[in-house]
Amino acid sequence: MTATEGGTALHGPGAAGGSRVTTRSRALRLRTVLNLAKVEAWLLFRSLLVLAGLLAGGLVIWLVIHPVEPVWWNASWEIGYGQLLLGMAVLIAAQLAAGRPRRDAMADLYASFPATAATRTVAHLTGLAGTVPASLLLIGGTAVAVEMLAPIGAPGVAALAAGLLLVIAAGAAGIAIGTRFPHPLAGVLAALALFVPFQQSNNLSGATVWLYPWVKPHQLGSLPGPPAGYPPAGAHAAELAGLAVLAGVAALAVTKRGARAWGLLASAGILAAAAICVAGAEQLRPIPATELNRLVAEAADPAAAQHCTTADQVRYCLYPGFGPELPAIQAPVSAVLAHLPARLAQPLTVRQAAPIFPDPTLTHGHPKQQVTQWNAQLQNAPGYGAAAPASAVYLTAGSWPGDTQAAEARFGLALATAEWAVHLPPATPAATHGMECVPLDQAREAIAIWLAIQAIHPSAGELQSGLIGPDGGHVGVMVRGVITLTWNYPSVGMQALASVGTQTTDAGYLLASAMSRLPERKVSHVLHTAWPRWVNWHTTDAQLAAELGIPMPAVPQPLSPRPGMTIVSAPGNPPQNPVCTT
Amino acid sequence: MDEMTVNVRTAAVRADGLSRRYGATRALDEVDLTLQRGITGLLGPNGAGKTTLLSILATVGEPDAGRVSVFGLDPRDTAERVEIRRRLGYLPQELGYHRHFTVARFLDYVAILKEITDRRARAQEVARVLAAIGLEDRARTRIRSLSGGMRQRLGIAQALLGHPDLLILDEPTAGLDPEQRLRFRELLSGLPGDPVIVLSTHQADDIAAICPQVVVLLQGRVHFAGTPSELAATAAGRVWAADQRDTRAHLSWRGGDGRWRHIGDQPPAGAEPVTPTVEDGYLMLSHAAGAR
Repeated sequence: MTATEGGTALHGPGAAGGSRVTTRSRALRLRTVLNLAKVEAWLLFRSLLVLAGLLAGGLVIWLVIHPVEPVWWNASWEIGYGQLLLGMAVLIAAQLAAGRPRRDAMADLYASFPATAATRTVAHLTGLAGTVPASLLLIGGTAVAVEMLAPIGAPGVAALAAGLLLVIAAGAAGIAIGTRFPHPLAGVLAALALFVPFQQSNNLSGATVWLYPWVKPHQLGSLPGPPAGYPPAGAHAAELAGLAVLAGVAALAVTKRGARAWGLLASAGILAAAAICVAGAEQLRPIPATELNRLVAEAADPAAAQHCTTADQVRYCLYPGFGPELPAIQAPVSAVLAHLPARLAQPLTVRQAAPIFPDPTLTHGHPKQQVTQWNAQLQNAPGYGAAAPASAVYLTAGSWPGDTQAAEARFGLALATAEWAVHLPPATPAATHGMECVPLDQAREAIAIWLAIQAIHPSAGELQSGLIGPDGGHVGVMVRGVITLTWNYPSVGMQALASVGTQTTDAGYLLASAMSRLPERKVSHVLHTAWPRWVNWHTTDAQLAAELGIPMPAVPQPLSPRPGMTIVSAPGNPPQNPVCTT
Repeated sequence: MDEMTVNVRTAAVRADGLSRRYGATRALDEVDLTLQRGITGLLGPNGAGKTTLLSILATVGEPDAGRVSVFGLDPRDTAERVEIRRRLGYLPQELGYHRHFTVARFLDYVAILKEITDRRARAQEVARVLAAIGLEDRARTRIRSLSGGMRQRLGIAQALLGHPDLLILDEPTAGLDPEQRLRFRELLSGLPGDPVIVLSTHQADDIAAICPQVVVLLQGRVHFAGTPSELAATAAGRVWAADQRDTRAHLSWRGGDGRWRHIGDQPPAGAEPVTPTVEDGYLMLSHAAGAR
């Protein structure tokens, strides 16, 4: 009796009694593995669980990526986040597949087949190829989506490949678990265990975070460009590959095998463990001091690293590689300048800032003294507010919004430009300890808001929403012992602007809103005739309204502090916002 | 223990001194058995050790003591065990199913596990067994949608894949309706290649209808091995029919014709002797084993 291509020839001369044991070729076993793997791959490929993981992964990546114009060195890791979700689904699906015979009370039947448990396990592991299309689709689909958002930089191939390996390693782990624990809960619990480190990644610090299957680096998206080896994507991919092999060995170890097979398994396991250790050590290796020095220097003194372009008397200074963002940044600034009734008195600089901090994932392995020194350098970096000159608007690198919030960001930049044009500080001065000044009853505030409205034309609803706080009530700050109601356009909460110098008020907005209902030519004429007067901080809202011939808008009366009322303020900060007097 | 040989032809399957314990329970007690080609029925009450014996013959279970030889191959040797499995079709007593698989997908999957690696040959084989058990119109139906009887037929179908030389069926007719049982009998009788078929059942009439050989297993021991007529003959002269129940009889039951059938050592008053059946012989043996 021999094995044939057409199947087993199970009856024939000599089959009964004393027939010779025929040695099946390895080719037959290989064909069986490949056939089974093909079925398992197909089952995984069309698994609803995997499909759900793919959709969830894609959705999460989109939600994470699309709010800002992406930088590839961050987006590559964000795509890995989606792969983590897909990996969880694959882990569960693979565990269910590997545990299928025992869970469905078919272990006895399976034990009677010539395809051994080892053959089936190898087929399950090979069948993980069925998850590769989903992973590649996730990578490809999200990469296309990222490209459509005009990203900065180039895709991180190692990080993207690591995401694929994460999915395969998760599947292999699922098979290892399924061969021992067929209950569906085992896979679910393992998938959650895979997810927990990611959820806790904000609480983790130091280089050991890289040893987890996938974590989100704290401030990768804010870097003007990643230092070499940060994040250690190549080493992490190697670790995940080692984990996949180790999980495969663990899955096969449960099957009864001969001494030779055990030897091979042990060798593979030792090699995988060695690869994991080497990759782990590589990930724990400190980032070279020269790289960190360069990064800190770029953050602390952007001017030394940035490329500048001048247009309409405004200098735009961006980090290398961020050039594609220039048109989006230039548009609102130019629009404000176009509506400005007077020529610029002094040049404006719009500059990117990288408000980074020396977190332990960056500085691990370096002497404390060195870290303290980097910290001190970064304290003086623009974006922290301490050294913001009056002639610059600072934008956070890597935070320029994508399509959905671009209008808010454009308005925020337009308002900052207009504030600078009316001599309000575009960034928080050091003397105020980080508190924005309030242009209390200053006509220039309404003018700045009016200029921004004329430049961007946001909807009335969006503008009105600035009057209401997140909880539906009015928001106010203490100025000179009185609560002053504030107007906070949505862009205030965004990170696109590294620093905001002025806290706008209800009164300023309401007057600007009334001005925007007048013909622009009329307002421009009034402003043009006495521009120095209007930008003087002593000129009041009422004077501007009178000049324009409009009544002063009614401002809701704020609460006055009563005896016994406690005004809560942040520790160490003065309890009141200063009035803008420059 | 006496060795009971079913047939003097070449032994295809041989068990020598098989013993198996589950804790304090002795499932098999030094079972010696020799089977040759053809159908062998295995009769025995619940707990007699039938399933344990069949699982050992199917190389799934391992005996605590004794040895098995299948086609001259020793299942203790890894390579020979695989070779036995290549010739084996097995239907366990309690078989779950991958209920989300379709019928055809399930059979195709099992065919791969039986090392039928050519796709076209596999498709033909799946079609063949589907036709054999009358489920060809259910090929695309998910298993969870099948009735219990259909699932049982599917279990039989998977065992038939690959033209096995040794077919071990543990209670294959459980859940089948009378028509399906008839079809099953016809199917087994008509299998080509003269395979070794061992089936366990509680249905003595199945045994009588299709099994040239029968083995009675009681309390883990082989109590009878022979032909169905020989089994029936063990009750010869001890089976009577009467209008009244006789309390002295070892076993009494009322038949479909309203008359009482008695198995005992003495005929009841007014009783007339009847020709014993396989069931009578089995019950006689079973009673005798219980009395011992």
